[in-house]
Amino acid sequence: MNREGEKNTLKAAIKPLKTGVWAALFAVLAAVCVFAIVWMNAGTGTVAEIVRDGEVIRRIDLSRVTAKETFTVGDGEGGYNVIEVEPGRIRVLDADCPDRVCVRTGWLSKSRIPILCVPHRLMIRITDADGAADAVAY
Amino acid sequence: MRRSRPNETLKRTVQNGLLVFVLSFLLCLFSGCAAGLFGGTAGQTETERTVYAMDTYLTVRAYGDASDNTSEAILDRVLDDALKEVEALEKKLSVTIETSEIAKANATGSAALSTVTAELLTRALELCEETDGALDITVYPLVRAWGFTTGETRVPGEEEIRELLPYVDYRRVALGYSVTLEDGMAIDLGSVAKGFACDKMARRLKDVTGSALIDFGGNICAIGAKPDGSDWRIGVRSPEGNDLLGVLSVRDRFVVTSGGYERCFTDADGNLRWHIIDPKTGYPARNGLLSVTVVGTKGIRCDALSTALFVMGTEKAIGFWREKGDFGMILVTDDGRLLVTPDLAKTFTADKNAPYAQETIREAE
Repeated sequence: MNREGEKNTLKAAIKPLKTGVWAALFAVLAAVCVFAIVWMNAGTGTVAEIVRDGEVIRRIDLSRVTAKETFTVGDGEGGYNVIEVEPGRIRVLDADCPDRVCVRTGWLSKSRIPILCVPHRLMIRITDADGAADAVAY
Repeated sequence: MRRSRPNETLKRTVQNGLLVFVLSFLLCLFSGCAAGLFGGTAGQTETERTVYAMDTYLTVRAYGDASDNTSEAILDRVLDDALKEVEALEKKLSVTIETSEIAKANATGSAALSTVTAELLTRALELCEETDGALDITVYPLVRAWGFTTGETRVPGEEEIRELLPYVDYRRVALGYSVTLEDGMAIDLGSVAKGFACDKMARRLKDVTGSALIDFGGNICAIGAKPDGSDWRIGVRSPEGNDLLGVLSVRDRFVVTSGGYERCFTDADGNLRWHIIDPKTGYPARNGLLSVTVVGTKGIRCDALSTALFVMGTEKAIGFWREKGDFGMILVTDDGRLLVTPDLAKTFTADKNAPYAQETIREAE
């Protein structure tokens, strides 16, 4: 039995490591903190994708929107949709489609239920939608 | 126990231990970063496609094993093939593509059928039969009269509806190597085509991955489990507002919801008119339900039943479920009740804010 001896050697073993390893550990912890902060901020960012005819025509980080803004997509031949963005949310404000389902759908902020304008083949969806569901049946 | 040189051994052990600890920590950090950057779970690859098909958006997400560098290429190819199959299917079935087999049958009264269209029509007619005409693929002339095919909606006159009703009867569709319709009749496979297409895609995907998710305009097909091995969490849309009714935990299931809110308009008298037409009355189905969600193992059946049960109404839908019992359902009634079958009651978590009173449907009366 040499418990005492083991304790001493343990101390002796740790001592020379102290400066290097503790600094490394501290660096790792700092990195973890930075990573966690970056990751959490990325998590709160809400990116809306405007898809027309199967192609993403515009991507907007709604968390970076600071003021109300409206713009029009389409207008070529297949009709238009006026889209409005505000901090954290997006909607179709006006459209010349016959059913105007897209306008009635209202604001989209974090849900996995997209805004659809079937006559104009337009979809607005949140790419990093809330973790409550992987997909939504509608 | 004897140790030859305890001091040296211990020192080395501690040193190595700390080194391994630090290295593994860094490794975790990097893999975490990588996973965060590429948006997937560590060790998994994600392949996604979004296309416009069958008058809505189709998104397919499939997960592969990152350690197997062939898996991503295989998934890519399988997804391409699956989407090509859907595109080919649409060209055969669409009522708006003039050269499609169905459009030809509607225009001329008869059309030769490819194997796949014959297969779908056979299955569709079986489902019409099984639901006693609550689902009827020949309701198209009425859907057209209400303007839901173009989006230019209107309320047809009573006389007009009375004149069109005799053309609605799935039993008078003559099916063989070709399909023949009586004068004035027309078919639309919109209530089954997406479910059928999901079945076809699912079959391909199941061969190559244990984890994929298909969202075909809100018809959901969850293949296997999530990449991390847990259940898929499928939200069900509330029929009123843009919120969730709740979330279902599923594996290898189709989840299909039909409701009046999808395509509807308010008429001059303030009545809400939706696109699900009752084939027996010619008017939008108003039989006590706001939405129906069907959960099962066959896409075409879930798709067809969600429409059929909506048309049947609360009592008949519950009767149908008691008789068949091979699917789960969630009904939202127009008097604010949320009725859930017992199997789903275990896996369904209602949203805290959903304004409905949840009840579990009893197996027998």
